[in-house]
Amino acid sequence: MATSATTKRRAFGVSTVFGVALLLAACATSSSGQSPSGNAFSPHASVRGQHITVLLPYPVSQKILKQFTQQTGVTLTYETAGWDNVKAKLIVANEAQTYIADVTEFDWSFTGQFGGGGWSEPLESALGPTLIKDLGNVNRAFDTKGHTYAACYSNDYRFPIYNKKDFAAAGIKQFPSTFAGLASALNTLKRSKAAPYAMSLPLGATEGGVTPWYLLTLAMGGHLFNDKNQPVFGAPGSPAYKALQFEITARKNGWISPGSVTLDDTAALNNFEAGDAALMLAAGPGNLPLANDPSQSKIAPNAQAALMPGVSGPGGSFGLPEGLAIPVTAQHKNAALAFVKWWLEPKIQVELYKSAGFLPCRISVLQGLARQGLLQGSPAALQEISHVEPLFPAGTPIWYSKFDTEAQELINAANRGTMSVQQAIQKLSSDTAKLAGGSGS
Amino acid sequence: MPSVALKEPQAGQSGARWPARSGLWGATAAREEARLGRWLVLPVAAVTVALVIYPLVLGFETSLYAAGSTLSARGNFVGAGNYAEVIKDPATISAALHTLEYVGICLVLQLAGGLVTAVALRRAFRGRGLMFGVLIMPWALPSVVSGVLWRRFFAPDNGLLNSLLLHLHLIHNAQVWMATGWAIPWIAVVHVWGTLPLITLILLAGLQSIPDEVYSASAVDGATPARQFWHITLPLLRPALVVAAIIGLVDAVTIFDEIYVLNGIALNTSSVVMQVYNLIFVQADFPHGIAFAFLIAAFSALLAVVALIAARLRRTA
Repeated sequence: MATSATTKRRAFGVSTVFGVALLLAACATSSSGQSPSGNAFSPHASVRGQHITVLLPYPVSQKILKQFTQQTGVTLTYETAGWDNVKAKLIVANEAQTYIADVTEFDWSFTGQFGGGGWSEPLESALGPTLIKDLGNVNRAFDTKGHTYAACYSNDYRFPIYNKKDFAAAGIKQFPSTFAGLASALNTLKRSKAAPYAMSLPLGATEGGVTPWYLLTLAMGGHLFNDKNQPVFGAPGSPAYKALQFEITARKNGWISPGSVTLDDTAALNNFEAGDAALMLAAGPGNLPLANDPSQSKIAPNAQAALMPGVSGPGGSFGLPEGLAIPVTAQHKNAALAFVKWWLEPKIQVELYKSAGFLPCRISVLQGLARQGLLQGSPAALQEISHVEPLFPAGTPIWYSKFDTEAQELINAANRGTMSVQQAIQKLSSDTAKLAGGSGS
Repeated sequence: MPSVALKEPQAGQSGARWPARSGLWGATAAREEARLGRWLVLPVAAVTVALVIYPLVLGFETSLYAAGSTLSARGNFVGAGNYAEVIKDPATISAALHTLEYVGICLVLQLAGGLVTAVALRRAFRGRGLMFGVLIMPWALPSVVSGVLWRRFFAPDNGLLNSLLLHLHLIHNAQVWMATGWAIPWIAVVHVWGTLPLITLILLAGLQSIPDEVYSASAVDGATPARQFWHITLPLLRPALVVAAIIGLVDAVTIFDEIYVLNGIALNTSSVVMQVYNLIFVQADFPHGIAFAFLIAAFSALLAVVALIAARLRRTA
């Protein structure tokens, strides 16, 4: 009898616990989460005395950040984490609809997922048509569903940077403009031993490690997606195949370190700046000032920009702009908007370019830098802009993360030799076609 | 008023006389004690519900819905559909096979290494305390930190392992260990390095519970150390071995930190928990990721139950 009573009490207790949990869960899912509001910003509201948190992958000088506080009276906590980690944190926070920061990183690749998911506030009205126009076409990477979800802070795209001293030591007078010329130059650099390795190329299973494959595919005259975002890289012998084969050849020929299959882009850049390689193939405008900064780089001031080689002349490249966004969960949206506008001021854009390497997106600022001769890597870096195209002609889709993760894994597997080029590309193409809802080719 | 029998104090006890736990008064006291116990446990129970039960239930509910057209809005109810898709996904099968490999290598190394270390530390000797300190150190290090340290060890260009093997002429070229067939075994070694102290302590506790008289008696009967180990130590150590095996098993199934630090999300070393990480934190596919996490938990629990039942059956046999 006592045992039966005890059992009944225990069963009642357990049922109550789970019942409460179920009720809480039901309440949680039936309550509406935050979503972008049309009136998130009050242009004339005072922000003085507020405090905001900014989360970006790249450090910025405190001296520059203090100017924001002096100007607006808003105090600031500037947090950084690695790019992949920032993305993971943003995904978790946004999915849980919890506060993470008032201003956050918004990469071009986030547009479908973050913008389409209603995780960020639309900014087109708040920034105004004049500023949006000055941000140029590159800012359209952050447009989806008729709204602009971020303001471009880093006009990033890819092109090679090389150590002109190593090239001179190897007797190479001009950076090659074709892949045939590049192969010849890499062999010459290897023989000359001007640097331990001819090239630094990240091939790890990371965002930075798959970017070279995207770049090489475009440079070899191909595309990954058509104007309906259907994959078009699956055909054998396509530029995508050749691009992956080039990476494998680079490792087999000893042009790059065998450990490249574990490197991300930051580590690859560090190797280049340490003088361990004569060339970094998939660099960006932000890498150049840092590579020529004697306090950060052993090869300063010998880093030089070059046009991306192509099949029969300079090849294509793609844009990877990064923007500042304001999550719907931000606690001080007006203060956050003030930060975004301050960051985009011409004077601040120039200071950030010089100290942190963020190539401005504002056309007026770019033109001013070019006029003053302050654009590092010009004319090659500027000329490359004319070859830049978007990876997704129809805008970054919501399934980009799934595609990108699989691309990282499969391209890395092919580079490690655990998969053939055909297996990797075919699988990626067919899986991407399923994501995109088409047949793939 | 019910009569209450008072117990006379026994010899050596204090003079206080307490009411015996019998009759109506005894039942009331027991109920009062139980009620007090429930109140005392209530705060912990509330925290457990909030931080464990509630997320589990919410997560399970999420796993029954499709990802939907936007990630924060619920899609259609698919029931066990996500579970079926996860089981059929080639990435899952690959991760599961890798995990079996991790479990096999880790269990063998943990139990064998733990047993050898525990036997060595059983008897007192000069420096035993220092050895204990050294033994505990890997366990005290966070697994991410030890992963970063080991990454230097395995570094392709100037890591310690390559330098040593090249110096000894055991290899002719520097190896990218994480890109070879040795990647999983090496990661398992790093994992075991961190968990061996715990396994050793469990087995050492088991060894120290075996009475010395058993060994003395067997020695009188002419048993050699090897026979003592095989016929006395191992059978009497079985309960501790089962506990160590279950802990080691669950720990190996959930291996993640070492893989992520040493080799990232690369396919050749992906484990089931790594795949959950990919689904949830990289692809933001929460329904599939949570479904996979529940499948892993259920499988781990099943393995533990099977191990316990097998141990009990052997004991009764």
